[in-house]
Amino acid sequence: MELQVQLLMNTLQIGSVYVLFALGLTLIFGVMKIVNFAHGTFFTAAALVVTSVMMWSVDTIGMPIWFSYLIAFVMALLVVCVIGFVVYFFGFKYVLKDLNGSFILSIGLLLLLNGTYLILYGGVPRSIPAVIPGNITILGASLTIQRLVLMIVAAIITLGLYILVHRTKLGLSLRAVAEDQEAAMLQGIPYRRVALYGFLIGATLAACAGALMATVTPVTTVIGDDFLVKAFIIIIIGGLGSVLGAILGGLLIALIESFGGYYFDPSTATLAMFVLVVILLIVRPQGILGHAEK
Amino acid sequence: MSMKKIIGITGGALLALFSAQTAIADETLKVGISAPMSGAAAAWGLGFEYAAEQAVAKINAEGGIKAGGKTYMLELHAYDNKYNAAEGAKTAQTMLNRENINFIVGSIGTAPVKATQALSERKGALLFNTGWGKSIKGPKYPLTFTQMNTPFEILAPFYGYIKEQHPDAKTVAMITPNDATGQELEPVAIDTWGNLDVEVISKDKYERGTTEFQSIATKIATSNADIVDFGASPPTDVGSMLKALDVLGWNGIKVVPAGTSAGTLSKMAGAAAEGTYLGASADFTGESASEIQRELNAGAMEKLGEALNGITISSYDAVMALKKAIETADSIEPKKIAETLPTIIFESSYGPAAFGGAEVYGNPQQILVPVMITQLRDGKAVEVGRIAPAELKKRLK
Repeated sequence: MELQVQLLMNTLQIGSVYVLFALGLTLIFGVMKIVNFAHGTFFTAAALVVTSVMMWSVDTIGMPIWFSYLIAFVMALLVVCVIGFVVYFFGFKYVLKDLNGSFILSIGLLLLLNGTYLILYGGVPRSIPAVIPGNITILGASLTIQRLVLMIVAAIITLGLYILVHRTKLGLSLRAVAEDQEAAMLQGIPYRRVALYGFLIGATLAACAGALMATVTPVTTVIGDDFLVKAFIIIIIGGLGSVLGAILGGLLIALIESFGGYYFDPSTATLAMFVLVVILLIVRPQGILGHAEK
Repeated sequence: MSMKKIIGITGGALLALFSAQTAIADETLKVGISAPMSGAAAAWGLGFEYAAEQAVAKINAEGGIKAGGKTYMLELHAYDNKYNAAEGAKTAQTMLNRENINFIVGSIGTAPVKATQALSERKGALLFNTGWGKSIKGPKYPLTFTQMNTPFEILAPFYGYIKEQHPDAKTVAMITPNDATGQELEPVAIDTWGNLDVEVISKDKYERGTTEFQSIATKIATSNADIVDFGASPPTDVGSMLKALDVLGWNGIKVVPAGTSAGTLSKMAGAAAEGTYLGASADFTGESASEIQRELNAGAMEKLGEALNGITISSYDAVMALKKAIETADSIEPKKIAETLPTIIFESSYGPAAFGGAEVYGNPQQILVPVMITQLRDGKAVEVGRIAPAELKKRLK
C-alpha cells in the first residue's frame, strides 16, 4: 500500500510540471493554430533566470533564500514575457494559423534561443540551494517539502488558468477564437490581440513550470527541450487545444512514467508513451478530449 | 649599383622573406575535439577542451612537432556533440569534411564516437576517443585509439576494492543510460560483480535527458540492494538520483564507474553524495598526482571551477601521444602514425604511458595508464587506490 501511495505521489510530482508546461503549448495551439517548437525555450529561460538571480542575490548580497527565490520567480516571468512579446511581434504574428510557417519559424527560434542561452550561460548544469529544505511523509510516501510546495503551486496555477478560460471575458474570447476564429471576429472579438494574450499566457505558463523546476533539478541550457517532447505527447493524447485534455494527458503520462518506470524500467516507460500515442492516433486521432475537424 | 638594382634586390629579398614566413605559417596541424559542451555531461566536454588546449599550448610553446624536416604548430578545433549520435555525426562531418582535420584528439561518448568513427576510418583520419564500448576497437578499426581507461580496465580493480571494503555487500541494483555506452557497460559490470559473488538484483536503463528520477529511486530503495551501481550515468544524473534516494531514506553503498566530476556530483546532491565511490575520477591534488596533473588541475579549477578527472585529462594525453608518434614516424600520415602508436612509450600526464590491450580487443588500441579509485569525502574526490596495468609495467621494464 505504501508503495502504491509513493508511486502515486511520484506521479503527482512529475505530472504537476508536465501539466503546466503542456497547458501553455495547448493554449497557443488552440488560439493561434500553430505548433510552437520553441515553447521549451521559455521554460529554459525562466529556469536560467532563476539560477542567475539567486546566485547573485544569495551569494553576493546575502539575501534570504526564500525572498531571493520570490524575486527570481517574478524576474523569470517578466523576462519570458518580454521574450514572448518580441518573438510574437516579430515572428508569430505573421504566421497565425499557418502550420508550415510556424513550424519553420519555431524551429529557427529554438536553435537561435538555445544557442544564445549556451553563449550566455555556458554548458555546465546549474543548481540553486534548497528554497524550503526538509522532507515530509504523507501516508507513508516520502517527498521533499519543496516538491510538495511545487505541486501545490502548480495546482493553484492550473486552477487559475481553468477559471480564467471558463469564467472570464478574456477566457470566453480565447475559447471563441479557438472554436471558430471568423465567427469570433464577426462578434467583434479582436483576433490578433486575443492571439497575443493567448501566446503570452502560454509562455508565462512555461515560465512558471521552468521557475518551479529550477528548485528541484539541475538546470541546463536545453532543459526545456526534454519537456517539449513529453508535452507534445501529452497534448496529442489529451487533444490539441483542450485545457482539460492537457491536464488529463499530463497526469496520464506521469502515471505511465511513475508506475512503468517502477514495474518495468524508465526506458520501457518512455517507449510505452510513444506506443500509446501511436495507438491513440489510429483509434482516436483527435485525442481523448479533442474535437475532430469538421 | 643603380637604383633599379637596389630596388630589385630589396624587392626580391622582401618577397623571399614573405614567402618563407608564409611557408612557416602554413605548417599548421589541425586537431579536433568532439565532446559534450552543453547538457548533463557538459562538465566532461569543457574540461576535456581545457586539457587539450593546455597540451596544444605547451607543444606550440616548445617549438611544435617536427616531422619530415618540417615543424608543425597545432591548432585546436572543438565541437559540441551533445553526447548523442546525431550530433556526433554532424561534428564529424564538420571536422573531417569541412575543416579537413586528420587528427581527432578526443571524442566523448560511445554513441557519438561510433558516429564519428564511421566517417574517420573511411576518411583515413586518426580518432582518439574515450568511448567505453568494446566494439569500437579491433582490427576492423585500425585508426581508432582509446585515450582513457574503460570498463575492461576499470571494473575489476574498482569493484574488487569496493567488495574488499564492504565484504557483507551481497546485492547490487544497476542503473545506466540507455545508449551505446550503457548497453556495452552493463554486461561487463554484471560479469564482474558476479565474479565477486555480488548478485545483480535489478538492471534498469533510462534515456539521457531524463530530469525526473523518482520512479528509479523508488525502485532502487524498495529493492533493498546493498549497492547501487550507476554505470555510465553522468554526474548530474547521478546527483539527481542520489537526492531522490536520500529522500526515500536509502543509505547504501554508492558506486559510479563513470564517476568523474566530484565537484558537480557534490554540488547537485550535497550530503547525499558523500561516500560515493568514483571509478573515473581522480585526485589531482593528492600525493600521487604528477606535477603536470597538479598544474592542469589548478588551471581547470580556476577557469572552469571544476577539477579534472580521468576523462577530461585524457585529451592532454592524446595530444602528447600524437606528438610522440608523429615524431617517431617522422610523418603526418595518419596510417603511419596509427602503426607507430602501439610501439612508442610517451610522456602522459601520469608519467610514461603506452598503448596496448591486444589480448582484450584484438589490437593494441587501448591506452595503458593507472586505474584510480576515489571516494567523495567532504565534497572532494580522495584517492583511495591506484592500480597500474600489468602490461604497462612489463613494457616499461
